[in-house]
Amino acid sequence: MNYPVWDVAFGAGLLIALVAILHVFVSHFAVGGGLFLVLTERKARRNNDTALLNWLKFHTKFFVLVTVVYGAVSGVGIWFTIGLISPLATSNLIHAYVWGWAIEWVFFFIEITAALLYLYGWEKLEARLHEWYGWIYFIAAFASMVIINGIITFMLTSGRWVENHEFWTGFFNPTFFPSLAVRFFISLALAGIYALITASVQKDAALKSRIVRWSAVWIVPSLAILPALGWWYIRKIPAELWASARGPMPTGTHFALLAAVLLTVTFVLALVTLVRPGRLNLAFSLLVALVALGAMGSFEFVREAIRKPYVIGNYLYANSLYATPMPGDGGFSVERIDDVGVLQTAKWLKNRQLTKDNQVEIGREVFRVECESCHTTDSYRGVKRYLALRQWDQNKIQAMLSGLDLMHNGVMPPFAGTDSEREALAAFLTTMQPVTSSPTGVINGKTVFERNCVMCHRVRAEDALFARLPKDPKVASEALKDLPNLFIRMPDLKLSDEERSALVQWVNTQRGGANGTGISSQGGN
Amino acid sequence: MMDPNLIPTMDPNPLPAPYWVFKLLLLVTFFLHILAMNFMLGGAVLALAARWRSGNRENGNRMFFDIAKKLPSLLPATITLGIAPLLFVQVLYGQFFYTSSIIMAWPWLLVLVFLTIAYYGFYYASFQGGQHSGKAGGVMLLSVVLIFIIGFVYSNNLTLSQTPSRWGGKYFANPAGWNLNLSELTLIPRFLHFFTAAVAVGGLLLVLIALAKWKRDGEYARCVFQFGGKAFMYATMAQFLVGIWFLARLPRDMRMLFLGDNTLATILLVVGVAGGIGAIFLMAEALRKENVRLAAYFVSGIMGVVILSMSVMRDVLRDAYLKPYFHPEQFVVKTQWSVFPLFLILFVAGVVLWFAMLKRYGFFAPSKRENPAPSTRISI
Repeated sequence: MNYPVWDVAFGAGLLIALVAILHVFVSHFAVGGGLFLVLTERKARRNNDTALLNWLKFHTKFFVLVTVVYGAVSGVGIWFTIGLISPLATSNLIHAYVWGWAIEWVFFFIEITAALLYLYGWEKLEARLHEWYGWIYFIAAFASMVIINGIITFMLTSGRWVENHEFWTGFFNPTFFPSLAVRFFISLALAGIYALITASVQKDAALKSRIVRWSAVWIVPSLAILPALGWWYIRKIPAELWASARGPMPTGTHFALLAAVLLTVTFVLALVTLVRPGRLNLAFSLLVALVALGAMGSFEFVREAIRKPYVIGNYLYANSLYATPMPGDGGFSVERIDDVGVLQTAKWLKNRQLTKDNQVEIGREVFRVECESCHTTDSYRGVKRYLALRQWDQNKIQAMLSGLDLMHNGVMPPFAGTDSEREALAAFLTTMQPVTSSPTGVINGKTVFERNCVMCHRVRAEDALFARLPKDPKVASEALKDLPNLFIRMPDLKLSDEERSALVQWVNTQRGGANGTGISSQGGN
Repeated sequence: MMDPNLIPTMDPNPLPAPYWVFKLLLLVTFFLHILAMNFMLGGAVLALAARWRSGNRENGNRMFFDIAKKLPSLLPATITLGIAPLLFVQVLYGQFFYTSSIIMAWPWLLVLVFLTIAYYGFYYASFQGGQHSGKAGGVMLLSVVLIFIIGFVYSNNLTLSQTPSRWGGKYFANPAGWNLNLSELTLIPRFLHFFTAAVAVGGLLLVLIALAKWKRDGEYARCVFQFGGKAFMYATMAQFLVGIWFLARLPRDMRMLFLGDNTLATILLVVGVAGGIGAIFLMAEALRKENVRLAAYFVSGIMGVVILSMSVMRDVLRDAYLKPYFHPEQFVVKTQWSVFPLFLILFVAGVVLWFAMLKRYGFFAPSKRENPAPSTRISI
């Protein structure tokens, strides 16, 4: 609202994911790979292994071409992309952490220079000095990772920074150390995985065997320790953040599971390379790298998913609205926009006059400034698809919009705006609604639940719907007539008599443990 | 018609150091960035010119590869030195810079794709060594064209960032980010002003290469010196025409800043013009006397001052454009004393380490660099 929203047809979220995942896959290699270079050089020299040393020269060239070129440019690419997609978050990160970024830049400068001198130094420098450049490179790269890790984890778990806005409070936040440990060991594993690629094109089978075995020393223990470190990381993430990942839209847990599976596959593939290390081919080494890329991407998706609805934890929502009003926020907090309205607050609107005739057009504008940072209409996280699943009419959409922040265990920010703006947004969303089933058809309780309740409720004994809804079908059906009366934040859905009784019947069936769900009627909160 | 409400509000975080600190860092790092960019782009353009010009093909090819070898270092220098001003411009001018970037999002993002290709192109050309294959030239040409486009996109973005009156029209006509700022009158002369400067400085790069080879390979060094020195002179002469064009295209009140209304801006322009003229005459003299040291030290020194003054002029011009919307006195400042000194210490340590690394490498002793002791190459 404060900044123009870049209308990316296929989804801004997908773009940042693409840029970021490809970058981290290289940037972590840039750290672990640096240590790999110096330690391999030392090993080769100690063992008088000229063949290994010659391969390492070749590998250094590969390392520089991947990390110094693609790694560095794609790192700038992340800056460009987040500035385009989340300019307000970027602006906050810049002002709160400019000295962190500036320090990182100093390390980066040293890192790039040392990498080039290490590459060109193979032909010019005596061994000890050459290794020193390698060490300088690695230390600078690691320091660079420490700084960026501090800022990235701050975005996830801002901790007490929200109270005092102190640099170091946010920097050494609850997930700083576990995340650093996870990332460092990922970087060590990647050092070995990338080495497999250049090893695979070696003709000398004995040399190839030595490199593959040496790579396994980097990959296998690093991957083996990751589950424990991951567990430490997860333990440090506040429960309320994980809640959304365990909700009915468990993007976080799905990706966590995917990361675990792909990590295991990477581990197994790395072990397979040891069976006949001298016969490793390029395709297999690329397969290992590809699976590792999938694991790494999934890991980053988990972080992004559990951070939602925020882009900076407990401070700024993903749609660039502040969680609480504060001086200097320009009025871009949910609370203020609820009072004043989107049309009076947003800067980048084509039309600010809402009339009976332009509801849909204004609704489109509200969608653009409030939802498009995460959603598209019919592409990545396309609302059209969600609406098709739910089959809501305009009234129901409008009612649901009032409880956005409750849906899916709080993965979305609340809707900010006046009632008439909510109505306009609902009108716009209704234009995308392909209603396929007639309300007069056979009413199925499960379908009623899936279309109307599943956004907030889960089939669990402790869920309020199952714990508190009276068992008597008539009383229960009567209670469901006025949902806000049951709980003030419930949307006023106005379910039909048939829908209510079908829902009650289905809920009672579930309570009885039918259909193998086995939920009991105890507990509740 | 400009909607004054379009300019975004900055975030609630105070400036973590006084305004002038960021301004100084922005100016210094931009100066270093533009210096590296000039060497890189100008060097690459002249490498192509040397390869494809008529005359001594042998020397032309040699010059091409002598420059090509340096580009994989000059481009990361440009990028790395560019990150710092990119950071500091966001600190001070974020609400202008982000907005213009979003309005022309796709061209802006494509910069990175072009940069990656150009970068690999430079490596390709440098890895060709002294081979006389035709491909290296073609690949280098592609890289140069891409960097040329990148520069043009930068000129579009930075001119758009300082003209908020154009934002609304462009954004609402195309919110998908397929915009440029082609209607800006100063766009072409401004871009050419940078490009011509790059060619001139590329000439100086050749002069420095000539200096390094002067004793060992006199004939070739003279050829390089003549080529680079002349390129410098012609580009700097052309720069006067481009500069006048740029000045003429500026809105009157901006133009007058440099013609008397603003003392600092006027002095800077005089320094720039006098420096340029002085450098041309000095280079002509150096070429006539075949005095490469005169060109390498004095002309380079003068051009350093000229480029610095031009960098400050650019900043004065930006602040003049943004005067109605940008008020530095409105920044709330709360210096982060717990980390700012740490940056300064690490910065100084970083600079010292950087020079030490180059020194130990032999960067400042070119004669040794050419003849490394063979026994130390990959001794085990």
